[in-house]
Amino acid sequence: MKTQSALNTYIKETGGWVASQLEACTRCGICADACHFYQALGNPEYAPVWKLEPLRRAYEQRFTVAGKLKLALGLEKKLTDSDLEHWSKIVYEACTVCDKCAFVCPMGIELGLLIHEVRTGLAASGVVPGDLAEATEKQKTLGSPLGVTDEMWRERIDWITDEWEEKIPVDKPGAETLVVFTSIELMKFPDNLAAIAKILNKASENWTTSSTGREVVNFGFFEADEELTKLFMYRVFKAAEDLGVKRIVISECGHAYEAFRWTAPNIMKVPKGIEIIHITELIHQLWKNGRIKIKEGAFDDGVITFHDSCKIQRLGGLIKQPREVLKVLAPKNFKEMTPNKEQAMCCGGGGGVISIKEAEANRYAVFEMKMEQMQDIKAEAVCMVCSNCRLQFVDSLAHFNSTIKVHSLAELVSKALV
Amino acid sequence: MKEKTIYEHLRDKGLSRRDFMKLCGTIAGMMGLEFSPPVKALGKLAHPTPAEVVARALTTKPKLPIIWLEFQDCAGCSEAISRSSSPSLAKLVLNDIAIEYHETLMAAGSQAEKAKEECMEKYRGKYVLVVEGSPTVADDGIYCVVAGKSNLDLLKEATAGAAAVIATGNCASFGGIPGANPNPTRACGVADLIKDKPVINIPGCPAIPEVTTGTILYFLIMGELPKTDHLLRPLTFYGHTIHDHCLRRPFYEAGKFAESFDDEGARKGYCLYKLGCKGPTTYNACAALKWEQGLSYPVQSGHPCLGCSEPHFWDGGGFYQGQSAALIPPESKTTAVAAGVGVAIGAALAGVNAAKKGRAKKALTSISAVGPGESGAKPISQSESKKEG
Amino acid sequence: MDWSEILRFSRGPLFHLSLIIFIAGMTYRLLRIVLLGWERDRTKRQGSKLWGTILNYLRGLIILPFIPWVRRTFRNNALTFIAGGFFHLSLFVVLAFGAAHILVWQSLCGISWKPLPTPIVDWLAAVGIISLLVLLINRLTHPVLKLLTKLPIWINWTVVFLPFITGYIMTHHLWFRYEVIFSLHMISVCLLLIWIPLGRISHFLFYFFSKTIHGAQAGKRAVTP
Repeated sequence: MKTQSALNTYIKETGGWVASQLEACTRCGICADACHFYQALGNPEYAPVWKLEPLRRAYEQRFTVAGKLKLALGLEKKLTDSDLEHWSKIVYEACTVCDKCAFVCPMGIELGLLIHEVRTGLAASGVVPGDLAEATEKQKTLGSPLGVTDEMWRERIDWITDEWEEKIPVDKPGAETLVVFTSIELMKFPDNLAAIAKILNKASENWTTSSTGREVVNFGFFEADEELTKLFMYRVFKAAEDLGVKRIVISECGHAYEAFRWTAPNIMKVPKGIEIIHITELIHQLWKNGRIKIKEGAFDDGVITFHDSCKIQRLGGLIKQPREVLKVLAPKNFKEMTPNKEQAMCCGGGGGVISIKEAEANRYAVFEMKMEQMQDIKAEAVCMVCSNCRLQFVDSLAHFNSTIKVHSLAELVSKALV
Repeated sequence: MKEKTIYEHLRDKGLSRRDFMKLCGTIAGMMGLEFSPPVKALGKLAHPTPAEVVARALTTKPKLPIIWLEFQDCAGCSEAISRSSSPSLAKLVLNDIAIEYHETLMAAGSQAEKAKEECMEKYRGKYVLVVEGSPTVADDGIYCVVAGKSNLDLLKEATAGAAAVIATGNCASFGGIPGANPNPTRACGVADLIKDKPVINIPGCPAIPEVTTGTILYFLIMGELPKTDHLLRPLTFYGHTIHDHCLRRPFYEAGKFAESFDDEGARKGYCLYKLGCKGPTTYNACAALKWEQGLSYPVQSGHPCLGCSEPHFWDGGGFYQGQSAALIPPESKTTAVAAGVGVAIGAALAGVNAAKKGRAKKALTSISAVGPGESGAKPISQSESKKEG
Repeated sequence: MDWSEILRFSRGPLFHLSLIIFIAGMTYRLLRIVLLGWERDRTKRQGSKLWGTILNYLRGLIILPFIPWVRRTFRNNALTFIAGGFFHLSLFVVLAFGAAHILVWQSLCGISWKPLPTPIVDWLAAVGIISLLVLLINRLTHPVLKLLTKLPIWINWTVVFLPFITGYIMTHHLWFRYEVIFSLHMISVCLLLIWIPLGRISHFLFYFFSKTIHGAQAGKRAVTP
């Protein structure tokens, strides 16, 4: 029965876009070299193309002559429940949907986006790792994957306002900009939330937060459950519409940016006239327009590097903005890791992986490679624009007893404001 | 009375012993005896030189009787032999080494018919039958009748007493031009009809005269037909392709091709492959023996090989069409039909697939409708969820 | 059956039939996929889809095939990439610039062009054969490829390798009589043509889909593909 839902989802999702890419695959296996999970752990099943197997089988067996032939000749089997469980482990626990494979594939197959489709089927049949499902359920019922209730949220905001002495408007009527934060920032990196508030206040931006659309993280999107993805985004869009804002600022979360910026218009009704913008873009804009001023060389003490988040840089295209800012903050000591920009390696915590306990070993193994890259340039600090990445960095660096400091861009900018 | 041997005959004509031995050497050379295995087949003779083998045969054997029949042909092979400029070996062989009955050369008539019958009777079991032109099978051989007898009857009659049959020219060997598509007379090779006598093919259009006479001589001297390939062609002459011994071969290897008959490449003697040369698949001795007493042969004089010693050389695509070209390129109509079939099946399947997707969508929504109800805000499922792939 | 007959058959009716099957099969496959439906992309663009696509093709065709280190990714699998690149170069040059193949194109579509010097084509054919062998060994040993490779992939390799090797033997006049190896070459080509619509060799067509899709995706997000 589970399989049936997965199969139905795959059939529904398989249009020319999916099919033509599945057909284009030559099975060359080059994508394996792009996958940090395969590189770190050496399990051939972590090769990105293998992660597409359920989708490919469903497509071939339902739609193609060759697939039917293979089935008849016994060269291939039908998808079963245990297959789905098997792939659930691979696709959720050893993939961050970072899409690096797409940038390496000689055929240019959008493997990351296709793996998202695979996840959709698995989510439809309910074969999702327990931790992830639990967090999703929390977001559905309580409004936040970390279990932050409305009350807790208000308390926390008040506390941050007091602690950092920074005004954080809530449900302010007539505001132009709605900033939606992540629970991770709220609970684990309140300094970041305060930093963003400080920057916006300094720029005298007419901004607000919303008590109904208060969670930007989208666990439905991690799971790739389309209905839940829509539901979680709907809450934010509804709040934005009610407040009558002109733009929604996505705070430091990669997957949320991907969902709001690139997915929402294709799967649901998006309120018209509301711009979706990432906090990095906003900071860059404010600085370029001279609404905030940054002290040059404020962080030029040790080598500082920038970690490209897959959903914000590789898939979001915000590559030069944070670098321009960083070059002001650390003109001498800013150094690039290799590979970088579009080709950068994922931190290993994205795509919901960090919320799954069983995936911890995978996560650390991958991070070791990232750490090597930082050590190669003798980085003393690393900056990033995604709190999911930041969580992974903080957690893993502690795990490996490293002294590398982790900053978010907003935090650095807020400290360098003049 | 004992028949005169060939040597005696030649001596009577005034040939000296010295000239005779020279002749034997020439014949041996022409037959390719220097390097051909049959010398070894004579095992017992310790180390006879090829010329000695020939001399021994010519001094002990009488003239070889030959009966030369023509069916569907142009007489080109006979022409080639009789037109060889004198004094040629071919003439020598036909005049002095063999005695023959030749329909065309003997101004056919009832006397000639009679002569033939006498010859066949006299030399029963000893004569060699040379066939030029293709026999025709359709309608009991009605399409080629000589003196009221169908070619099939004539062939049968002549074969009965023959020691061996030599099919000369492409027509007699493989059906040749009469056998070209659509082959209305059902012309075929002699070997297709005669199974009870040794048959050898000397294909070519025409057959190289030296090859025909050489094979006759071989039979005379060795008492058997030479070794043949799978198409019954004597290996001595058909062991290599025109391409193997081509004097333009270096240009082929270097990729220098004449593009037309009067371009720079043609003048420089470049390879004729692109002009349709069939050299690579044509087995014949042109390059070694040449024509007109060793003067030249087609490829040397600037014309691509037609492949005239191969079966169906008339049907193997145009003479000036390169050998790698598709023989039957699909016409645009055929291509359109093929593509149309693809489009039709594809479109039909598109309908089936759309239905499949519709069913899948329906099944999914019915599950989610029964599934756990949503709490909190209602999802906007009425939104245009047009996502298809 | 005589080999010259087989040659005539394989150059004639068999090749004809294979081409028809190939055309019908590929049209069917193409249409089936195109008609599966395409979603309109409603997202607001950040960059140009067209420019991304152009860039993607340029990078794919010019830079990428020969310098895998450009992306610093190919730690374990550079072999697939390099051998694959050389194989495709070889395939293209041999098919498009071999004198004999130009005659085929001429007979099929009526246009012809100048061939490259035979030694170049010849060397590249050898490179192609070596690349195919390297790819085979790689496929037999690489853990990911071992996992991915099923029977159809072996068939793919075989039907591509056979025309290459028979063609090479043929042009060098090795071991076989010319008409025999010519026939084998033609038969293997026909096998290839018939197999293409069934297997993954058809990627030469879907390449343009996936490459365009990725280029457009990267273009609209304003990143370098």
